[in-house]
Amino acid sequence: MRISQREKTGGDGWILALLLVVAFILITIYFREGATGPLHTARRGVQAVLAPVGHAGYAVTAPVRTVGAWVGDLGVSRSDLEALRRQNEEMRQRLAALEEARQENERLRELVGFVEARELEALGARVIGSPPTLWEGVITIDRGTEEGVAVGMPVLAAQGLIGQIVEAGPHSSRVRLITDQRSGVAAMLQATRSEGVVNGSIEGDLTLDYVSRETTLTVGDVVLTSGMGGVYPKGLLIGEVSDVQINDADLFPRIQVRPSAALVGLEEVVVLVGAPVDSGETGGGE
Amino acid sequence: MNRLIPFFTIIVALVLQVAIVPYIAIGGVMPNALLLSAVTIALVKGPRAGMLAGFAAGLLFDLLGTAPIGPGALVFCLVGFIAGSIQENTFAEGWLVPLIVVFFASLTAEVGYVLVLAVLGESGVTLLGVLGRALPAALYNSLLALLVYPWVARFLRREKPMTTFRRLA
Repeated sequence: MRISQREKTGGDGWILALLLVVAFILITIYFREGATGPLHTARRGVQAVLAPVGHAGYAVTAPVRTVGAWVGDLGVSRSDLEALRRQNEEMRQRLAALEEARQENERLRELVGFVEARELEALGARVIGSPPTLWEGVITIDRGTEEGVAVGMPVLAAQGLIGQIVEAGPHSSRVRLITDQRSGVAAMLQATRSEGVVNGSIEGDLTLDYVSRETTLTVGDVVLTSGMGGVYPKGLLIGEVSDVQINDADLFPRIQVRPSAALVGLEEVVVLVGAPVDSGETGGGE
Repeated sequence: MNRLIPFFTIIVALVLQVAIVPYIAIGGVMPNALLLSAVTIALVKGPRAGMLAGFAAGLLFDLLGTAPIGPGALVFCLVGFIAGSIQENTFAEGWLVPLIVVFFASLTAEVGYVLVLAVLGESGVTLLGVLGRALPAALYNSLLALLVYPWVARFLRREKPMTTFRRLA
């Protein structure tokens, strides 16, 4: 049985109050200081130090992720399974290292083709870190200010837009994914050209907001960047409409969007270094 | 030397949070090693160490992300203090106490953190969305506590060697 030590902790209330006041002061300083203020600088320093740690973790946990992917694939259909078995037989003929290089080459070609088709100036980058906390939709890439990356630049995968640079260190940067609750992208429906804003959410879902009720909406409609606001070039693929609800009480229809790019398990991306740079941290286009 | 042990514990938790935790996420739900370290310190060392550890762990949590700096320190500090106080004033022993404290501390900390962010202007926050992620995360933290708490507590209580989980709790 433990004896309560309440009598010893009489001063704890004061320490607690002091720490809470310090926390409030930190919050106030964060909002009042600029991007070069001490707290923002400290964050960039911590992230620059921890980027190699995250990269090392990415390499160390590769077997775990492989097992996870294998478990995730257990639910595939019989035909898929047969196809995968045949593919697996073919794969065994090749050396693992060569196979890795071939796949990487293909991914990069796809990325380059995507960028060249749109005549965009781009910089390839590897993903070296995943979101570090439950509430962050942010990944880390291995390119920074020394390579020409700046805050606000759009980031793409081969399938379409994935996010925007929000922190840039010398040799690493952080990309806020479009599914993050702080992200907002000026968008339009390809079929009707109706404009709105694609917002992320805390659940990681995408919604297309502020589209007129008069717009004809169909599940499967393609959603592109509209170019409004000047942050994202016009015409980048974001995703497609997956669900539409129009309620009498709502000013705008509720439109769910399925992102075209797989935002989990990204390995290579491109940064549009030629795009106009928005120095703000929030997603562009709003 | 013993005074530095909680500090080392939090640094190790920081490294794990960055290097390992993102890759053991299940369905997008990941544990919070920093919070787990702060609550463990609170359970072993009491409310004063708990709030100091919570503040430090919360500040590091803030620095890892892209959200405003301070809400993590604020919430984790309070949670560390409450967890330490509960443990200090609880006569029950056994493995269930740290498990339950970690579950409710995690739930309170994760929900509290997002609520503070919402007050500061965070958009896209819904109660269902927050609970939908915070509840499984709290469960994940509890399961992790079941595995790591005895070892971390033993490390933190070097001056009083413990041999069983029951006595550790």
